[in-house]
Amino acid sequence: MTNVARTGQTLLVVASSMLFAAVTSAMVVRRGIGGDWVAPELPAWVWATAVLGPLASWLILRGWVRGAVIAGGLLVGLQVLVLAELRMAVIGEAFLSVLVAAHAIHAAAGVAALARWGERAGLFWHFVGALWIYVLFLFGVWA
Amino acid sequence: MAIAILIAALAGATLALFFQPRWWFPEAISAHARAYDAHFLVTLCVIGCIFVFAQGLLAWVIFRYRDRGQAVTGSDGSSALEIAWTSATAVIFLGLALAGQGIWAGVHLEGSDPRALKVEVLAKQFAWSYRYAGADGAFGRVDIKQIDDAGGNSFGIDAKDPRGKDDLTAAVLRVPVGRPVELQLKSRDVIHNFFVRELRLKQDVVPGMTIPLRFTATKVGTYEVPCSELCGLGHHQMRSSLVVMTEDDYAAWLAEAQQKVVLP
Amino acid sequence: MFSTDHKVIGKQYIGLALFSVFLGMLLSLVMRFHLVHPDTKVRLFQMLWPEGAPGGQMTPELYLSLMTMHGTIMVFFVLTTAPQSGFGNYFLPLQIGAHDMAFPVLNMLSFWTTALSLVTLLLAFLVEGGAPLSGWTAYPPLSGLGKITGPGQGLGQDLWILSIAMFCVASLMGAINIIVTVIELRAPGMGYFDMPLTCWGWFVTALISLFAFAVLLPGGVLLLLDRVAGTSFFIPGGLIVNDQVQGRSGGSPLLFQHLFWFFGHPEVYIAILPGMGVISTVLSVFSGKKVFGYKAMAVAMLAIGGLGFVVWGHHMFISGMSPYSSIAFSVLTMAVGVPSAVKTFNWLATLWGGRLRFTAAMHYALGFVSLFITGGITGLVLGQPGLDIYFHDTYFVVAHFHLIMGVAAVFAIWAALHYWFPKMYGRFLNERLGKIHFFLTFVGVYAVFVPLHFAGFVGNPRRYPDFKEYEFLKSVTGLHMGVTHAAYFLAAVQLIFLFNYFWSQRRGAVAPGNPWGATTREWTDD
Repeated sequence: MTNVARTGQTLLVVASSMLFAAVTSAMVVRRGIGGDWVAPELPAWVWATAVLGPLASWLILRGWVRGAVIAGGLLVGLQVLVLAELRMAVIGEAFLSVLVAAHAIHAAAGVAALARWGERAGLFWHFVGALWIYVLFLFGVWA
Repeated sequence: MAIAILIAALAGATLALFFQPRWWFPEAISAHARAYDAHFLVTLCVIGCIFVFAQGLLAWVIFRYRDRGQAVTGSDGSSALEIAWTSATAVIFLGLALAGQGIWAGVHLEGSDPRALKVEVLAKQFAWSYRYAGADGAFGRVDIKQIDDAGGNSFGIDAKDPRGKDDLTAAVLRVPVGRPVELQLKSRDVIHNFFVRELRLKQDVVPGMTIPLRFTATKVGTYEVPCSELCGLGHHQMRSSLVVMTEDDYAAWLAEAQQKVVLP
Repeated sequence: MFSTDHKVIGKQYIGLALFSVFLGMLLSLVMRFHLVHPDTKVRLFQMLWPEGAPGGQMTPELYLSLMTMHGTIMVFFVLTTAPQSGFGNYFLPLQIGAHDMAFPVLNMLSFWTTALSLVTLLLAFLVEGGAPLSGWTAYPPLSGLGKITGPGQGLGQDLWILSIAMFCVASLMGAINIIVTVIELRAPGMGYFDMPLTCWGWFVTALISLFAFAVLLPGGVLLLLDRVAGTSFFIPGGLIVNDQVQGRSGGSPLLFQHLFWFFGHPEVYIAILPGMGVISTVLSVFSGKKVFGYKAMAVAMLAIGGLGFVVWGHHMFISGMSPYSSIAFSVLTMAVGVPSAVKTFNWLATLWGGRLRFTAAMHYALGFVSLFITGGITGLVLGQPGLDIYFHDTYFVVAHFHLIMGVAAVFAIWAALHYWFPKMYGRFLNERLGKIHFFLTFVGVYAVFVPLHFAGFVGNPRRYPDFKEYEFLKSVTGLHMGVTHAAYFLAAVQLIFLFNYFWSQRRGAVAPGNPWGATTREWTDD
């Protein structure tokens, strides 16, 4: 990977982290003052999707990018299924929808980048995988 | 050359405007407003000095070092100077910030006065209404289903609550002179802003929140209340008044208004 | 058209900003006219806005939507695009010895996303109900409930949010491009502290953009969801709008303000930092001296960029947030004034002992310093929450930010244009016309914006389509009449610039390779 590609992806990671941090802090504030917070419940199978990110990362490191693309694509597909379940009128689920949708866009972009540039786009994908675990953690443990 | 003169002239004209009496603060009608004016004057003197010094220096440097074929002499850096002007401005700026905290604390950090006259203020697109607790000193419960602007119940005072029977609502805010007043600001729709120039008080009125605002007016008179947060197409017409009355006039008004209270 | 050459893209950005600035200025003239002649019927208004000005009589909602569009166009499409994306794209690679930006295709996409964003914004004028009326700050609930809160609050406000969201994406792409270019593509041997201050300006601005737009983007998306998906991020319960009960609950209007101003305050520095870099360069070149305190200048930019992220609360002193946090924000706000003052002192010291050559570019740069002082100094009033109580949302604030963020930044753009025009077009902008334009404009901006402070002293609220309702505003009628006429004058003399800009591209005096005797690489490499 060239320095330019690495620095560019690092900055993309910084910007995306900032975006997710903004939504997270908005959620913390909104949960604290709204008085109408109900923890959203996720179907049990959603937790299993946490492994898809790291799995794809492992496949990239093993040099099997096509496998990583399949695993990443599967993640995006499952995220769309999760989105279909959520109700916007319930504030906790609305926040979850925003985070899942934002992540799905990142994951789709990550998959496209892998398909186009192969393992040179690996750095961004590793971030995407970790970010999904963060989103699940946020709702599973904290919210 | 010409630009040095122009900078000096424009700075001078700017300064001169401060000596015209026409466009200035209105009269101060509370102890807070007078404290505000005093601290504003201090700030104005400080920034006025900085303004004159900086614009004057700029004009002078331009004039002094205009191209007359002279050799370039100045240096291109000095740690001593950097430290000097950084610390000087830091002291002046932070000194101003600290000196001004008194006015802020006076409005927002002092506790509620138990003797204060409590008035609820309701803002909506594009009108203000005020509610007094009446003889029992307690506000009745509200119920948004009972809101009836045409019927005179903008607050939605619940007919079933006995405490609300004597609640008085009005379109103008009347308060007795010299008595502490505590407003409870509420909005029904969007953000509005309650501003009384003569009190040097301004506070956003935010839906979903109840925000207190305290003052003690010391001069009898009628003062305009312009909405000062963009609230929609009638924003500029969302006008109300604060009427500061003598104790006797206020008592007389209250007694008369109280008799007319009829609730749905 | 879809060029990936940084020079072409830089010119495209400048062209877009030029179109936007004249459009924004025309909108402001219509507003100034209406403020002093609120009852005059104008046929042109009826032709342009049949719904908003029936019979030529402008409605309050039309005034407010012109105001919203003026602010949005100027802040985003002029002050954010020209100094950073325009000149940054063109000159950053040249000044650090790079062949192009790090990601040329991304660069091209940034520009066209910005252009699409502008088109989307302008479409709001054409849709039913017209452009939104909630101001460039778009506070909910006014902006969050749809048509029920006003005519432009339907589709117009949706388009506004979409436009801003696109602009965020474009700015993030642009910021990444500039940062990577600075970090990775500096010429061999060029350290960070060997870069010209212009490059520091673009670099720090890109860093600010990276963090700021990444927060505005989700803020806009949440607002859009409140409008179209019935969520309650920012909309509290128990609202009754237009006698209709709104079925929302628990949202917080202040939450939006926090997200918005976390972006909004750094945005001020996004507009001004590249200009500060240009001014340092121009003052230095035409004094025949190096920039005084180069390192202090670079560090001051970093300090402004960093502190700029912890002062957003000074826009919210009267919003109802905790009064204790106001005290913290106030102290930090005064602190961010320090590096700005340091820069001013360094500019004066740069001139000190020099031999000043009064080119047109130098005139604009000196004018910038004067305006920066005049506009900046009132920040010492507004940064104190106690004093802000009275001035918040009055014309005092309008005067303050127009001088420091609007006019000063535009003077820096003019300085940059006159300075770099020979590099961009191989010809000079006409110096004599440039100086005439400078003098008339300089007098004009003082005449427009200094008096507005005094309307603020009277307590004149901003965002009023007319002042007829209030007794106390009768006293400012004459003042506004004067300001409006000064605005006509100011707008008229811009034709001199417009003529000079286009005429000199074809007919200007041919420039040699390094006409100003500068030492930076864009002039010396070839």
